[in-house]
Amino acid sequence: MTRHPLTRRRLLALAALTPLAACGTAPADTGRLRVAFAAGGSKETLDPSQVSLFVDQARAKALFDTLVAYNADTSLRPRLAESWESDAAGTRWRIRLRQAAFHDGRPVTADDVLYSFRRIADPALASSSRQYFAKVDFARSKAVSPNEIELTLTAPDFEFPSGWGAPGAEIVPAGTTDFTAPVGSGPFRFVSFTPGGAAVFRKNESHWDGAPSIDELEFVPVNEETARVNALLSGQVDYAHDLAAGTAARLAGDGRVSLLEAKGTTMQGMMLRLTQPPFSDQRLVRAVLSGVDREALNRVALAGRGEIGNDLFGKGLRGYAADIPQRRRDVDLARSLVREAGAEGLAFAVETSDVDPGFATAATLISQQLKEIGLAATPNTRASSTYFSEVKTKGVAALTRTATLPVPTFLNQRFRTRGSNNVNGFGSPEFDALLDRATATADERARLALFGDAQRIVHETGGLLAWGFSTWTIAVSKRVSGVVTAPPNTFDWARFDRARLS
Amino acid sequence: MRGHAVRRLGFAVVQAMFVLVATFAVTALLPGDAASVVLGEQATDEQVATVRHQLGLDQPLLDRFGNWLSGLVTGDLGRSLVTGAPVADEIVRRFAVTAALAGVTLLVLVPLALVVGVVCGLREGSRIDRVLTAVTLFLHSIPEFVLGLLLVAGFAVHTGLLPATAAGTDPAARPEVLVLPVIVLVARQLCDVARQLRIGIAEQTRGPVAEHLRLLGLPERTVVLRHLLPAAAAPAVQQLARAVEGLLTGTVIVESLFAITGLGTGFVEAVQNRDIPQVQGYVLVFAGVVVLGNLAADLVAHRLTPRRELVTW
Repeated sequence: MTRHPLTRRRLLALAALTPLAACGTAPADTGRLRVAFAAGGSKETLDPSQVSLFVDQARAKALFDTLVAYNADTSLRPRLAESWESDAAGTRWRIRLRQAAFHDGRPVTADDVLYSFRRIADPALASSSRQYFAKVDFARSKAVSPNEIELTLTAPDFEFPSGWGAPGAEIVPAGTTDFTAPVGSGPFRFVSFTPGGAAVFRKNESHWDGAPSIDELEFVPVNEETARVNALLSGQVDYAHDLAAGTAARLAGDGRVSLLEAKGTTMQGMMLRLTQPPFSDQRLVRAVLSGVDREALNRVALAGRGEIGNDLFGKGLRGYAADIPQRRRDVDLARSLVREAGAEGLAFAVETSDVDPGFATAATLISQQLKEIGLAATPNTRASSTYFSEVKTKGVAALTRTATLPVPTFLNQRFRTRGSNNVNGFGSPEFDALLDRATATADERARLALFGDAQRIVHETGGLLAWGFSTWTIAVSKRVSGVVTAPPNTFDWARFDRARLS
Repeated sequence: MRGHAVRRLGFAVVQAMFVLVATFAVTALLPGDAASVVLGEQATDEQVATVRHQLGLDQPLLDRFGNWLSGLVTGDLGRSLVTGAPVADEIVRRFAVTAALAGVTLLVLVPLALVVGVVCGLREGSRIDRVLTAVTLFLHSIPEFVLGLLLVAGFAVHTGLLPATAAGTDPAARPEVLVLPVIVLVARQLCDVARQLRIGIAEQTRGPVAEHLRLLGLPERTVVLRHLLPAAAAPAVQQLARAVEGLLTGTVIVESLFAITGLGTGFVEAVQNRDIPQVQGYVLVFAGVVVLGNLAADLVAHRLTPRRELVTW
């Protein structure tokens, strides 16, 4: 799954528990919020730099703080960083920290921030958030005072602060190497954790942002979606993360739960490999983009709960090029492009897997739609746990998805020549130059306009069919309040320090 | 008897080794490795290469297998590629959970199978025989996940009588979380064991031994419990051994449905994570259970039918 990417007490004891108590089922501890997530089994860790799963990120958020955090549109809000500014060139950044303390009482200082960032940037750690700090010249970065840091970059980057809020950029105490019982500065303190098992955290009374209302937070691993829903409906947990669209539709009228549905949070798409036939022929790329029916895909594969896409990532996020006209199905155009390319009846596989509940349906539907324009596409299902690493090198068309992250980050990773995750094999010096120019532009409005131009290029020739945006669904019991709808990876997602239990 | 046991054990070790080599080969054929799985879908090739080197996955396959085997000789199952923790720790932890589940299941299964098997066997073809056979056959033929979902819907979600899952609970502290999983497992295994017993009892009760004992005037209870049952139980014990294997190695569905962190879910995770040392550890445990379970069943069956010893010696 992606790294970006979200019980109790007296009333519970009275309501659901009347029958439960009768047979001796003890209620959950007073003041303990139990949250159920799909988990990674033994591969789970509390090291915040190694968050590859939503549950890892949710736990990291409870135990640690970041310098900044993402609002729902990925604009930034200050957290440990009180304020920051750069020099005119965008290569030297000065950050002032607020007064905050780790769970053991030590203050959070500039040294801790430097240590944390240097650690993430270390290639040996292979942290997934490393790319955000690749430009930092640590030899020339320093603590100016206990609460002031100066970071020097090897190239200008006015989007640099976005990286401080990325999953995995949490601040740990300087010198930490062992994360079996971590000390952080977050709203909850560590109590217990077993990889693949439950994690119990206790509220941090002295958190700088105010103590949580709940006494304890327990993460419960429940991998089967059905089991997660059953656990919620029977009162064993009060929060069930990541439900499929069909389940959400079924639970919509259930009086026992509330649904938190974050619309348009995960881009659903198909990437076309531009470096080899048939999609080295741009006419066929255009044919596929014009040949699919986005409305039908949303209706069927996303159970009508999603939104259609415009072959661009990040609908609704800061910097999204909303002014590019929506691409719609044009069967005649698609057919003539296929004919022009001499590709009628061309067979290729659409790589898919059950890693996402919508993939299988989408693959079938896309194949059918492409048959109508003269292409013989057939779904090819691959193993889910290695799907995303496999399709980096195999196949010419593969279903893909991307959770919430800043639009400039997405463009840099996915479309820059030899970008860290450029699976399509897109390469354009003009595009790269545009990204560089945007990154070095101090004025935000002008910068985002340049990123908009970059998106225009991607929209035409990037080889990404972003047909829709799925809804991220979480269900909570009626006893929970203070948990709000938010896209995964943003600050309010899986945020439990404001949760209350009635 | 002892010679028999030793021969069986030797054969068992050979079987286990064969299974291990096969598993190693098959896991090596799976797409991807631990490095690519652990890093997730946003990992760059560079990160994957770094981790692959750290884990030693860039070493030749035979070297890795050799290292693993030499560790095994000293009782070391190696370390998980994913957590770096000793493989044995995780397996012991999960084994305890699955063993508790299987143990409770057996405590229910054995007496129930005895009663059903004996009653049906003694009254072969009667109405009660037909009803019980139909019921156990019906339970046997419902897929486990269907039965599990029906039970959860009825007893947990709608009525709240029992916990829906074991999520986040320690079965030792709240044994009621095991009720529904145990019902599903018993329902699955009851049919086979009871039917074996039923056939044995039915044959015995019509046979000359039973006739002779009854003619001697022994009470029916003594005839059944002291004489018919032990002879009829031999095939049923074999069947029970297979049931134990099923309970220990085949709980994947039940464990995932009820969010129980036992061997079944652990094994699936290890395969998904491409955590080969962990997978090997599980295979070793499963192979051991199958081999020892069959061995035990063999010896018990041997003991239940002492006359066979005259033939085999």
